Amino acid sequence: MNKPVEAIEPVIQIKGLSKTYPGSSRPALHNLNISIKAGEVYGFLGPNGAGKSTTIRLLMNFLKPSAGTASIRGYDIVNDSLAIRRSIGYLSGDFAMYPKMTGRQFLQYMNDLRTTSDMAGAVKLAARLGADLDKRLGELSRGNRQKIGIIQAFMSNPQILILDEPTSGLDPLVQETFYALIHEAKQRGASIFMSSHILSEVQKMCDRVGIIKEGQLISEKNIAEMAAEATTTFEIEFNGQAPIDLIRGIKGVKIKSHIGNTVVIHVSGKLSALFAVLAKYDVKKLDVHSLDLEESFIHFYENKEEQ
Amino acid sequence: MKPITKWGLWQSRWSTAWWSLSIVAFVILIMVFYPTFKNQAADLEKTFSSMPEATLQLLGGSAGFFSPIGYLNSQVFYLTLPMLLGILAISLGSKLIAREEQDGTIETLLARPITRSRLLTGKALTGIIILLVVTLVGLAATIISVKLVSLDVSSVDILVATLSCFLLALSFGAIAFMLSSLGRARALSLGVTSAIAIGGYIISSLADTVKWLETPGKLFPFYYYRPEAILNGTYHWLDMIILAAITIVCGVVSWLAFRKRDIY
Repeated sequence: MNKPVEAIEPVIQIKGLSKTYPGSSRPALHNLNISIKAGEVYGFLGPNGAGKSTTIRLLMNFLKPSAGTASIRGYDIVNDSLAIRRSIGYLSGDFAMYPKMTGRQFLQYMNDLRTTSDMAGAVKLAARLGADLDKRLGELSRGNRQKIGIIQAFMSNPQILILDEPTSGLDPLVQETFYALIHEAKQRGASIFMSSHILSEVQKMCDRVGIIKEGQLISEKNIAEMAAEATTTFEIEFNGQAPIDLIRGIKGVKIKSHIGNTVVIHVSGKLSALFAVLAKYDVKKLDVHSLDLEESFIHFYENKEEQ
Repeated sequence: MKPITKWGLWQSRWSTAWWSLSIVAFVILIMVFYPTFKNQAADLEKTFSSMPEATLQLLGGSAGFFSPIGYLNSQVFYLTLPMLLGILAISLGSKLIAREEQDGTIETLLARPITRSRLLTGKALTGIIILLVVTLVGLAATIISVKLVSLDVSSVDILVATLSCFLLALSFGAIAFMLSSLGRARALSLGVTSAIAIGGYIISSLADTVKWLETPGKLFPFYYYRPEAILNGTYHWLDMIILAAITIVCGVVSWLAFRKRDIY
């Protein structure tokens, strides 16, 4: 039986981590505190420029903290970075590679930089993801390059995975394979710290979510809490005038737009009250949008600011 | 360090081949003309001797331009080799680290269990090996072409002069490498080092005739590059030691800066 996550010591421990870039008066990251346990998948969410990549770069020791500390598996991120990187798989947000190398040559290069040989694992991963290892990287599409990025991060079966927007550019089928890889890593006890913009992806993979805005962690929830608070977007077109006042009065409904006979609304919580109102009117068309996390952020931030 | 150097050399294999080919072509092209000049050496010397001393210094010294040593010095060792090797070294020095940083590939490398010191050393070694290979090809081309046109210059002197040229180019490469290691300023590194190389060439060349340039001239690596003295057997080895010292100091500064700074 697996040991419960709560009973295990934090694998990634961030305490008061801050970063102010030279020449900037505003900190890019301010007093960040996060702890992630073994086997936990932590989703790090926030709009562009919120401080996600800065946090990841600090953990990887690409940047030096202005204040605070962090440790991974008990090793300090600055002083023991080499020991940390022996057990890390890393994928940067804008994954860059050498355009004239083939995927196989690139992975061999990455393999040569470790003491153990992981090429067999890399080839297996390539087969699972459908990656072409014999084409030059510069000739690959963004999604296919991202596959190579995922392979180099996972090829050594690392105990820690730090992934910045890992599914960007992947087609839905490959995304599913990626979710399976995350699941398998979690099963073998790996801790995963990943940033993402896609709520459905976060819901599928993460145990816990931290939301960052302007360099500060403004909320941390487990995924069940997040799902309960999530809003759904409906676009409703009526035959005749839309009952806008009635809709506005429904608990949990926020009107996003009202043009002619069409209303776009955000609904959080139960939907029964909304459908009770709609049942009384002649609805011509009803579209449900899968939730865009950007919208969710905006909604979240608006609520925070209103409070 | 070894994989960084190995793959760095692999990535630069074609450019190294092209540089080698270019240096061979330049040296041979210059040397095949020597027999033509040799027959008119006396007349040409007369014309050149009427030129201002400063101009003669810019062309490589005051010795007879069409004597075997004078021709080899002014055409190959004072012009072609330092120019080609200097451009190669500056280009390598300013791109080996800075390009990885600009392209973002440095993150992928540093995410592996490799220290920044090893990355830097591996990259520096890549540059040194490429420069050495092209220099050796240039040396071979010079020795062979000197033999072909029956130029009376010792191969040992050519070897020492080439070594001196290698150290000069290496010092330029080291300055560029240091500047690019301080920050991701590849263009700045290229510009400043090129200015040091060209400015140093002009100032150091004129320092023998324009007295007030002697002291500032000593600040440039070119001042310590004396191929004519080597070919004439009057060389001071201290000059080569100074060139090597410039490279070592720049290497240490690169290492100190790169270990601690932010990479983004």
